[in-house]
Amino acid sequence: MEFIMAKIELSNISHTYNPSDPNPTYALNPFSMTWENGKRYAILGPSGCGKTTMLNIVSGLVRPSKGKILFDENDVTNLITEERNIAQVFQFPVIYNTMTVYDNLAFPLKCRDFSKEKIEERVKSVSDTLRLSSFLNLPARKLTADQKQLISLGRGLVREDVAGVLMDEPLTVIDPDLKFRLRRNLKEINEQYKTTLVYVTHDQNEAMTFADNIIVMDQGEIVQVGLPKDLFERPKTTFVGYFIGSPAMNIFESEVSSDYSVKINNIEIKTNSNLSKIKDKNVKLGIRSEFINVAEKEGQNTIKALLKRVEDFGNFKLLTASMGDFVIKSKVNREMPIPNGDINLYIPPEKCCVYINEKLI
Amino acid sequence: MHKLYTFLKYTFITLWTVFIVAPFLWAISTSFKDFQSVNSKVTYIPWLDFEPTLEGWRVLVKSPARGGVDIVEPYFNSIFVTCTASLISIILGTLAAYALSRFTFKAGFVRNNDITFFFISQRIMPPIVLSIPFFIFLSTIGLLDSLFGLVVVYIVLLMPIAVWIMVDFFNRVPKELDETALIDGCNPYQAFYKVVLPNSIPGLIVAGMFCIIFGWIDFFFAFILTFTEVQLLPVKVVALNSSITPWWSLSASALISVAPLIIVAFVVERYLSKGNLSGALK
Repeated sequence: MEFIMAKIELSNISHTYNPSDPNPTYALNPFSMTWENGKRYAILGPSGCGKTTMLNIVSGLVRPSKGKILFDENDVTNLITEERNIAQVFQFPVIYNTMTVYDNLAFPLKCRDFSKEKIEERVKSVSDTLRLSSFLNLPARKLTADQKQLISLGRGLVREDVAGVLMDEPLTVIDPDLKFRLRRNLKEINEQYKTTLVYVTHDQNEAMTFADNIIVMDQGEIVQVGLPKDLFERPKTTFVGYFIGSPAMNIFESEVSSDYSVKINNIEIKTNSNLSKIKDKNVKLGIRSEFINVAEKEGQNTIKALLKRVEDFGNFKLLTASMGDFVIKSKVNREMPIPNGDINLYIPPEKCCVYINEKLI
Repeated sequence: MHKLYTFLKYTFITLWTVFIVAPFLWAISTSFKDFQSVNSKVTYIPWLDFEPTLEGWRVLVKSPARGGVDIVEPYFNSIFVTCTASLISIILGTLAAYALSRFTFKAGFVRNNDITFFFISQRIMPPIVLSIPFFIFLSTIGLLDSLFGLVVVYIVLLMPIAVWIMVDFFNRVPKELDETALIDGCNPYQAFYKVVLPNSIPGLIVAGMFCIIFGWIDFFFAFILTFTEVQLLPVKVVALNSSITPWWSLSASALISVAPLIIVAFVVERYLSKGNLSGALK
């Protein structure tokens, strides 16, 4: 059976690399997820969080300890990689040393018995996109590391009928300028051919600019799946708050003081979250530095803090202020006049996220 | 400092080269001598010190009936046995090594490394331990004193070398290469022979060289497992010796015994220096 442009469903998947151990450590904790056909997904998370394991499970290189993988409702869990019609690109260049660049790019098509004309047409199109056209007749081993990675990428893109293209940090070794262009090319390929693209990265900017949906993972757990905007504005856990955004989200230890407000350092901060059902009074308040503004005078939801440092990033200024033990970071417009000493920082209630046990209310 | 280093380096290389090459020159010179030139006084240079003769070489190709020793047949026997055994060892050894490198085996407490060690352990014991079992084995299946019997024995001796070298080699070929081939649409067998094997030519050459060398120079088994029907080169060369040591034909036979290995070494060296074998991945 050929799976062409399929919906990919992971159902109750979990995986451990030491199944014979009575207390196995799980590389992936049980989860379910659906990748819609034709969309772009980014899997984002620190090293060793299970991103690569997840890709390998989808491509069939790793058989999950538990759970099922469905392509368009068909169970493919027990199918080998060859039968799944998946393309995968690894983090480091893998090339067929003994072949020319052309043969490298044509290999996936040759293996699947495409016609000679079709192979030529596809290789030409892919090599044009990746700017490899002038190297086609060279032995692949003669190219530089980043060109080799382009070959790897090209082999992933040369088949247009795949169920999905899985990319495991494919642009790590590519220089920034080309990286930017390639990301745009990948987007275009996705829009043109409606191929599902799954892109693993630990770079949030890459994930944010590339994907429709971002999957944030941490320690074998899927922490949040959502649009870039959701991840930014409403991180579901403090981990996502820390991990996404630069600088990380401001997170303050605080106490619930009424149904809609918390106290930080005895200063009352109103939020839009309903806190009436919370039993534990100790919560955390999270707010993005982008949403904290400098207020002219004290008032509702302002914090008086001592300005410690101003860093000019060109397009914005980053203020670091302290209030007791708390450190507050605020990103402000670079034209904004910054007073010295004590400043008043306004925290908009609608942007406040309240966390209990590290989870968003 | 740098000059001193260069000087020392070249001095050492020169000394070493003399050390290696001198015996060969001596053997070449001796192979053209006659009884008189070897035994009367020390002589070095043909025409100047002694009158060269081809007698030492002629003896080697003359049939015993005409007073020669005829090492031509043992020579081809040796080539046949060495090449056949090496080829089979490489094929079987490579397959075994690939399996040991890529798949996980478990049988009781036995793991992949134990199996690899089992192969190598065949070479740990002194060959004499194996002589009686091999003798009985070959006589039982009726292959004593035959070329095929020797091929079988040599496969046992050479395959561990092939497995050992190739396991190490395959372990250094990233598994992503196989995985990429699988993703590109190969089944596991195609991934092996279309992608992994062409990338393993350096390892195959090294393993092949070791097999050929160890097969070619073996005297022990060639000696105890053959009698009259079949003789291999090392045995025949040793048999040249008699009450009067024929230094001239011994030198000549020694030279043509090493000749194939020298040719192999030169060919492989050419191939290695072309850079074809360097940098498997990345």
